[in-house]
Formats: sequence, C-alpha cells, structure tokens
Amino acid sequence: MDKLDETKPDLQASLREIGRVLVRLWWQFFDWLAVVSRKQLALVLFLVFVAASFIFRDPAPLIPLIITVIIIKILAGGKRRAELTASWATARADTEQLERSLLEARMEALQAQIEPHFLFNTLSSIDQLIQTDPPRASKMQQSLIRYLRSAMPQMRDGSRPSLGQQVALSSAFLEIMEVRMEERLQPAVNVPEGLKSAIFPSMMLQTLVENAIKHGLEPKAEGGKLIIAAEIRDGLLEVSVSDSGMGFAPKSAGGVGLANIRERLKVLYGGKAELVILVPLEGGTRATIRVPYEVAPVAAEANRT
Amino acid sequence: MRQAAPTALIADDERLMREQIIGRLKDAWPELQIIGEAANGLEAVAMARAQQPDIAFLDIRMPEMDGIQAARALAGQCHIVFVTAYDQYAVTAFEQGAVDYLLKPADPERLATTCERLRERLGKGGEPDGMEALLEQLARRLGSGESKPREYLRWVQASVGNSLRMISSREILFFRAEDKYTRVQTEQFEALIRKPIKELVDELDPDEFWQIHRAILVRVDAIDQVSRDFRGQQIVQMKGNEEKLEVSRSFTHLFKHM
Repeated sequence: MDKLDETKPDLQASLREIGRVLVRLWWQFFDWLAVVSRKQLALVLFLVFVAASFIFRDPAPLIPLIITVIIIKILAGGKRRAELTASWATARADTEQLERSLLEARMEALQAQIEPHFLFNTLSSIDQLIQTDPPRASKMQQSLIRYLRSAMPQMRDGSRPSLGQQVALSSAFLEIMEVRMEERLQPAVNVPEGLKSAIFPSMMLQTLVENAIKHGLEPKAEGGKLIIAAEIRDGLLEVSVSDSGMGFAPKSAGGVGLANIRERLKVLYGGKAELVILVPLEGGTRATIRVPYEVAPVAAEANRT
Repeated sequence: MRQAAPTALIADDERLMREQIIGRLKDAWPELQIIGEAANGLEAVAMARAQQPDIAFLDIRMPEMDGIQAARALAGQCHIVFVTAYDQYAVTAFEQGAVDYLLKPADPERLATTCERLRERLGKGGEPDGMEALLEQLARRLGSGESKPREYLRWVQASVGNSLRMISSREILFFRAEDKYTRVQTEQFEALIRKPIKELVDELDPDEFWQIHRAILVRVDAIDQVSRDFRGQQIVQMKGNEEKLEVSRSFTHLFKHM
C-alpha cells in the first residue's frame, strides 16, 4: 500500500511532465510548420512517406496524417502571414506618426527663422535714414515692427492664419525691401479684399516672396517686378508669387523652403493641396500654392473690428 | 603718384548703404577721395580697373558678382575692405587678404581704426600685400585638379501650355519610358517629358535614383516594397502609387540582399 501511494503521485507528476513536453513539442512543430517553405515541407513529407513504406510496408495509414499536416500548414501559414503583416503595419503606422511629429517640430523651427542678413541690413538702413530722412526712417521701422510681430511664431495668436494676415506680413516685408532696393524692386499685390478671410497656412506666402527676391531679383543687376496674386479656381484658393528675375536653375538644390512648404501641405491637406513652380516663356519664375478654399471665421471677425 | 590724395571706390547694391559709408568716411578721413560708386561686383571690378583707386570698400552680398569674387579679381591692384551687415563671412574675408572687415552700420570709432590701418599700409610704399601668398594658394588649389563636386539635376522641367513646370526630384516617384516620351510620376500627377531615361540616368544623383529596368528609373527613398511575383520576377512598388514596376534581370543585384 505504502509503495503504491508513493508511486502514484510520482506517476501523475511524470505524466503531467510528459504532457507539458508534448504540448511544447506540438507548438514547436506548429511554428516550424508555419514558417517552413512549401517546397521543404513537401520534401520532408515525401521522405517520411518513403521511410514509412520501408518500415511499415504499407504506408496507407499515414495518408490521413499527411493530409492533416497539409491542412495545418495552410491554416498556420495564413495565421503567421497575418501576424507578420499586422506587426509590419503597426511598425509602419508608428514610424509615420513619428515622422509627422518630427515634421511638425521642424516646421515650427523653420517658421521661426528670420534671415539675419535681412534684419541687420534693414537696421543699418534705418540707421542711415535717421540721419538723412527721419520720417522715412520711422516709417521703415514701423514696417519692420509689423513684419517681426507677424513673423515670430510665439507672437502670433492661436487662431488659424488667414490669407489677409499672410498678405499683411509679406506687404510689410516688401515695403522694407522697396526702401532698400529702390527701383530694383517693383512690387504689386493683387489680392481681392473678399479673399482675405480665407484660411491660408502661415509663412508659406512669405517663403515664396523671400525666394523671389533672394534667388530671382537680388541677383539680377536691374531687378524687376514681384507680383502677389490670389484667386479662386475650381474651388481651390490659388495664391501665387511671380517675379521677372533670374529664372529657375534646374540644378539648384531648391532650398529647404520649398521642400518645407510641400511637406507641410501634405500634412495639412493630404493630396488636396499643391505647390507648382512654373517658368513662363518670357522668363522669371511663378510659384503657386493651391489649397482648398475655406473661410476663417475668427479672422473674419478680427478684420471687422 | 601715392603723394596725391588717397582714392577709394565704394561698392554696395543698396544706395542708402553707399551713402552711409561715404558719409562716415568723410568724417573719419576727410582727405580720402571717393572716385566711384558701384552697385554690383562686376561694376566695381570694371571701375577699379579703369580708375585705379587705392582702396575698394566692397559689400559682400551683391548681384552679378559678390564682394569676395570681386576681391579675387582685384587681388594685388588695391587694398580691400569688406563691408557687410552680418558677420558670417569674416573668416573667408580675411582669407582673401582683406585689410579690414567692417560691420554695417560702421561705428565711427571702428571706422577710424580701419582708416588708420589703411593709412599705414598706403604709407609703407603702397603695394597691397598679403595677396601674393593668397594668389599662390588659389593657383595651387585650382591646379591640383581638385574639382567641385558634381552637380546633379534637382528639378525636372515638363512643359505645361506656354510654361515649363519645375518638378522637384524629391516629389518624383519614378520615370518610365513610353514611346517617344518619358513619363514622370509623382504622388499627385503625371507629366510627360522629352528627355530619355538614358540621359536622366547621367544627370540625376545616382544615390537618389536607381535604374531598375532599361525603361524605369525609381527614387530610392520612395520605394515602398520589393517583392517577387509568381514567376520569381522582382517587382518594385512605390509609396502612394499602385503601379507595379518590374526589375529587369541586369538590375536585380540592386535588391540582392532582400
């Protein structure tokens, strides 16, 4: 009796152990089945079949087993593929999310950039005008203040930026550049009053204007025209900056500015917005941003008061 | 010759800035004669060659030819003082053998030091020095065959009506030869250009674009996945585009590690 009582729990324990091993082996087999290529599996099954026919003479009882294995392979393979696809998709969604937040951070940093050359040259011009033409110096200083106020992101209010705000910013910039460049810069702003309440992303127009001056007009000894225009076409708000400057060089790296506009448009509007750069046959460059037309309620309110 | 009043040339693309430096020089160095004003580097060089001033005050950022290039062209002919609003160029300026480097608006005391330095140089016997060593250095650099890194096409031109549309290489997913034309595919549109794939391969940055087929050129960064079809043929798919692009046998080595 004693002996039997002692061996019984022993047997139970070893049976449990064997069960555990079997389960583990089964899952290992399952995983192997799931990942093994079909060619390899076919080869293994064939070898098993041949070996069985030598050992048992009649391998027929093996056939249902082999069919089971094949069915498991099909199911397990599908499961495995689904798992892989799922983890791959999650990883991709994560990277896209990360890329997006990184892009937004970079956007902020880029928006905060005010060209030091512009700032110092303008201050130097004001310094000269204070001595020779104080009223003009005061006017230029006011333009600079208006420009800085709207160009610095921490000074901008939280409401969604309107085309009106963006045009005001670029106009202040152009007023300054007109004093500095004199007859070398002939600016014009053709933006209908009614479109000024439309939503338009911040600093994009300004980037186009700065590009037109920096790459188009400043390098050209005689300078030329710069026109800011806006219109609605096919339900899209089309804002363009044209200059009669140097034209566009296909080998120029294109600057961070344009790439930044393109990336921001993608983040803000998906495929519904675009930046188009055209070189008209008569020369110069024309850059156009097209975004869905939408009226900014807050900005419209602010304009009225 | 040098006993006469010293002469100077002022070059700046902004009239206000030229007036500023002329006004301040008048106070700091009344004997100095301003013999000319130039609005860009080319004008400055032409004027300096014609009128032989002792000194040239050159703004660094100017159209046509910048101050540094102008200084190179005038090396050994006159003393150079660079003037700029922002001091990003200071080191380059001195490498060019400048006598001095002024920040706009020039502070009167600082300008007085510059004038003192110039008087000293002019009194020493006149010939602008410091430039010989520089010229030699430049010649060596040019002679050593150290060429500039190759410039690649960053923008592709496609005609649209009466204009050319500039398509940034970063926007392009792939190029595909089609009859007489080459199709440029971006995420948002397609355009036809006349340039054949063969030419594009030479002009585009080989790190940015890979040729995967006699007729197909893809932007590496925009590749979404590379797979095999039932025949074992490698297929490339781009982000944001459904089209399946075949990799021809001679280019399969590109994706060998996959």
